[in-house]
Amino acid sequence: MGAITALGIVLLVLMIIVGGKQGITSFLSLVVNFGILFFTIVLIAFHLPPIIVTIVASVILLSITIFWSSASDNASTTAFQASVIVLILIVIIIIPIEYWAQVGGFGLEDSEELEGLSTYVGIDFTKVAIATAILSSLGAVAEAAIAIASGLDEIILQHQAIKSDQLFLDGTVIGKQIIGTAVNTLFFGFFGSSLALFIWFYGLNYSFGDILNDKVFAAELIAIVVSLIGVVTTIPVTTWLMSFKLKRLHKAQLKR
Amino acid sequence: MNDKLTSKMTWLQIALVVAFCFLAAFFCQHNDGLYQQTIYQVNQVQNGKATKMTDEFQNVDHYHNQRFFGTITNGKYAGHHLSIKNAYSDSHAMDHQYTKGQKLFITLHTQPKLHATVKDIKRDAPIAFLLAIAISLLFVILKLRGVTVISSILINTILFWVAVKLDHNNNGAAVIWIFSVLAVVFCFVTLLLVMGWSKKMLVTLSAVLCATAATILITLIVFGLTNERGIYYESMQYVTQLPKPLFIAEVLIGVLGAVMDEATDIVASLATLKQERPELSSMAIFKSGRAIGKSIMGPLINVLFFIFMAETLAMTLLYLKNGNTWHYSFSMNMSLGMTSSLISGIGIVLTVILSSAFAGLWIKGDER
Repeated sequence: MGAITALGIVLLVLMIIVGGKQGITSFLSLVVNFGILFFTIVLIAFHLPPIIVTIVASVILLSITIFWSSASDNASTTAFQASVIVLILIVIIIIPIEYWAQVGGFGLEDSEELEGLSTYVGIDFTKVAIATAILSSLGAVAEAAIAIASGLDEIILQHQAIKSDQLFLDGTVIGKQIIGTAVNTLFFGFFGSSLALFIWFYGLNYSFGDILNDKVFAAELIAIVVSLIGVVTTIPVTTWLMSFKLKRLHKAQLKR
Repeated sequence: MNDKLTSKMTWLQIALVVAFCFLAAFFCQHNDGLYQQTIYQVNQVQNGKATKMTDEFQNVDHYHNQRFFGTITNGKYAGHHLSIKNAYSDSHAMDHQYTKGQKLFITLHTQPKLHATVKDIKRDAPIAFLLAIAISLLFVILKLRGVTVISSILINTILFWVAVKLDHNNNGAAVIWIFSVLAVVFCFVTLLLVMGWSKKMLVTLSAVLCATAATILITLIVFGLTNERGIYYESMQYVTQLPKPLFIAEVLIGVLGAVMDEATDIVASLATLKQERPELSSMAIFKSGRAIGKSIMGPLINVLFFIFMAETLAMTLLYLKNGNTWHYSFSMNMSLGMTSSLISGIGIVLTVILSSAFAGLWIKGDER
């Protein structure tokens, strides 16, 4: 048995112990997400437009992550709608930034790995970098949207008559609590995944200016900062959607 | 009246944010004097003809030549006009197409006469712009709390850099130990900033540390039992020292944030619960902790999964286009990311168990 299979089994068993049926669903969502991610890469390799393929895949990935979580129907619908809005915002920000910074493709640090590979494959790697940045933000956006939507849904359930303005304020409070720690998830993920790169920079005496302008570093930093922007904007978007729905519900009840 | 005031505030805020972002970008666009390297601004571009090329895997690409004219903006030769040749492909994998107005780092050659080659494009302006957007959003949405968040990132970055320095001075001999100590310091500082000094914070800290340690232990046991089959350390990127301990250190640091995030959520909710209903037994607290954890663990594992996997996209694509099989492309590029995701997942699930148990045992109703 390979190490990956063994780790997968350990994870599955632990998830079943903690979550029962929900544990199996969560594990399955990980597996299916991987399948979609890999399929996305294959489609890009078949020369389908990378950004469009990524956006379509992102919507599917978001829906799997959110609807297969244990959030209530109202919460997960709102979380999904909010995260799609945030996804559009992210795409709008990321495209000009990536063209401006030109971080597509590979850096000098990749030279050794690229040995023997043809890099003239006819796929625009700037677009691939845009796809990478969008995909790496999905998990964080989905998580933030679920957390806020579930919190607000809980409040609505407990105080049926809550005014939508009050709900908006509550959402901001919940959002503030969530962001403080969600930012850590992102930044430690970033520190961890680029540890080797930082050791490389230090060992080869890169100056601050060298690091800031380095293609590989810039690409990773842009991806993580864009995720951060995504998570932060998820708070007002989710809260606004939730209170908008509540307002509509109140109006409908009045008419009846 | 009140409404008018708030909407005015928002417009003022938006104006300030926009001004701040553009100011940051403008500053970086004109900070050439701060660099030692020679910087060159492109003023005019002549694009040549494209040549079609096909590689051994029938990938079609186009090769373009371009010549541009511009001026050196800093250093000894500031103000000198120069023309530089460049070539780029459609895929831009290792090359760039330069356009008017861009600033580039160049290498100057003075023999036989002054000429230059392009090293790379200057990227600080877009990065500063993006960082400015992120920082102002944090302040606008989180208000004062934004200060805590940003200072936590700053302190952690400095600590991280110090650890990298220590690791380098040790030639990577003690990488796991250095980053384990760093992990403890990271947790302490971050949790102190998020929760303040309290019993809740200590409970969270012990849950985080125990869960992380247990995760690494489980990983090492699994690696031992399976002889690390299917783990290709040689596919690790940017490796300058022994890869296996480095990989473990990477995962250790990578999962820490998610584990803290989750433990904070669970312990904080359980403390509130115990305060509202002091009659609940330790077992009941543990069970509600598990119920909270059950719903957050799935999305949280996905956060790290996307961070670890997305960055392998470009290289996997290149492998596929170079005539490699799906299986080989996966093994050489995505398998380590997959391994990291699974290990992180184990850490996240263990945190649910440990933080619920510790909260059940140690949190009493009368404490905040």
